[in-house]
Amino acid sequence: MIWSENETLDREQMRAVQLERLQDTVKRVYEKVPFYRSALKEKGVEPGDIKTLEDIRLLPMTVKQDFRDNYPFGLFAVGKDELVRFHASSGTTGKPTVVGYTRNDLNTWAECVGRLVTMAGVTYKDVAQISFGYGLFTGALGLQQGLERVGASVIPMSSGNTKKQIMIMKDFGTTALISTPSYALHIAEVVREMGMDPKKDLSLKWGVFGGEGSTEAMRKELQDAWGIFATENYGMSELIGPGVSGECQALCGMHINEDHFIPEIIDPKTGQVLGEGEAGELVITTVTKEALPILRYRTKDITSLHYEKCACGRTTVRMSKIQGRSDDMMVLGGVNVFPSQIEEVLLNTPGIGPHYQIKVFKKGYLDKIEVVVELVDASVLDSYTQLEALTRDIKARLRTVLGIDSKITLVEPRTLERFEGKAKRVIDLR
Amino acid sequence: MLIKQISIFIPNRKGTLARLTSKLRENGIDIRAISVFDTTEFGILRLVVDDAEKTLDMLKSEGFVAKVSDVIAVEPEDKPGSLDEIFHILADNDINIEYIYSYVMRRHELPYIVLKTSDMERAVGVLKDNGIKVIE
Repeated sequence: MIWSENETLDREQMRAVQLERLQDTVKRVYEKVPFYRSALKEKGVEPGDIKTLEDIRLLPMTVKQDFRDNYPFGLFAVGKDELVRFHASSGTTGKPTVVGYTRNDLNTWAECVGRLVTMAGVTYKDVAQISFGYGLFTGALGLQQGLERVGASVIPMSSGNTKKQIMIMKDFGTTALISTPSYALHIAEVVREMGMDPKKDLSLKWGVFGGEGSTEAMRKELQDAWGIFATENYGMSELIGPGVSGECQALCGMHINEDHFIPEIIDPKTGQVLGEGEAGELVITTVTKEALPILRYRTKDITSLHYEKCACGRTTVRMSKIQGRSDDMMVLGGVNVFPSQIEEVLLNTPGIGPHYQIKVFKKGYLDKIEVVVELVDASVLDSYTQLEALTRDIKARLRTVLGIDSKITLVEPRTLERFEGKAKRVIDLR
Repeated sequence: MLIKQISIFIPNRKGTLARLTSKLRENGIDIRAISVFDTTEFGILRLVVDDAEKTLDMLKSEGFVAKVSDVIAVEPEDKPGSLDEIFHILADNDINIEYIYSYVMRRHELPYIVLKTSDMERAVGVLKDNGIKVIE
């Protein structure tokens, strides 16, 4: 089933829709967002210069730092009176990235997610359990609105408390699980530990996964463990949240809702726009957002675009699975973590040195992080209590910024590797 | 009345102790007492040596995290109940013992007991007042 007729427009029709919406967006940000007005002026571009879709290349790019520099509402194109919702993602220096939505934006969002969950197989007949964390993050509420749009019965379960998840799953007859792929694998493991068979004793049919990338091997593992059809979808709060793109039943890439999000692929080093099928950094321009229209957002995700017709009947462009990052962001259990966030915490913690090493690994199916730091302050050696208090202090500070628990390992000074060039402080063992 | 003890941070890794003792050996430092408890992640090694300040300088220059602190060394009498007597004296005076270990000096028949307490000066005072032999 295809949710919206906009998913089957022929290329010329789609380009016409995109151009009209792009022109409107550029005009609005020029008039209403001082940041974009000066960025456009700096490039000598007026809204009237956007005459074809290719003219998108004249527009300035937006990066995550721009959200920080304009914290909290500097990039907004509407006043607070028109906003009906805020969300935020973890920030790299303590301040989160704030996003806002008008009533129409929430409608657009529900529509975009509605398309994705339909692609994934979910209909009004399904009972959908959302096991993403609720709160400021866009994941859980974004999926909820889209699932309600298609008429699925939503269980706003949130993450954690796995045994209770399983009880509800069994008792409510959950047919669709919405979570990170690694959490879904973890739940399956706990189901088996509880003496049940995830395939026989539960009724899951669909796995709608996001929040972190996954591999084909992981999909197979998920399908084998649960007996489900597993798809993944893609999005980020800066653009809208979940709802940018998702996989259909043909499993040949994620269809981008390109009547709302215009994609480009660039060479991350030169900024040069690359052609169809070439791998590079995904850049997205939102063309229907009211509260927070974003021009050419550099997602830092590496992928490629494919325009040939899909077996599912949709004509929208597909992006391949995310192949990596053009920066050093890590995704831990669906939470985005930058080494710079960890560094900032460590540098502000007394008693330890400035060098550190981050180890990321899997324990079972769950992501774990270990932070190794050098102890420099001998005054804590009076007692184990003081030494343990120091590790607890570091752990608590990291939790405040990252929202996740980490293991702290203290080592002697000068034992961590020193780097002369670009430091390689992250060891990802996953 | 108080003796100098060195506390050294020891990550729980193979070879850390050997690296430490070889540095002590190279520098001709005589270990009088050594104590470390088992922990999962890291340990604090307590050391009594002949020249604490010199040893500390050497350890720091070798990259160890170490500090000198004061402890009490007492010589209990060789009879049942002598440790019980010492602990009661401290308890009755509301002094908490943080840790304790013992060491034997050559040419002495009896082990010395090293004590770290919550109030070192007062602990020495009450022990002496009660006739306990505190090593100078």
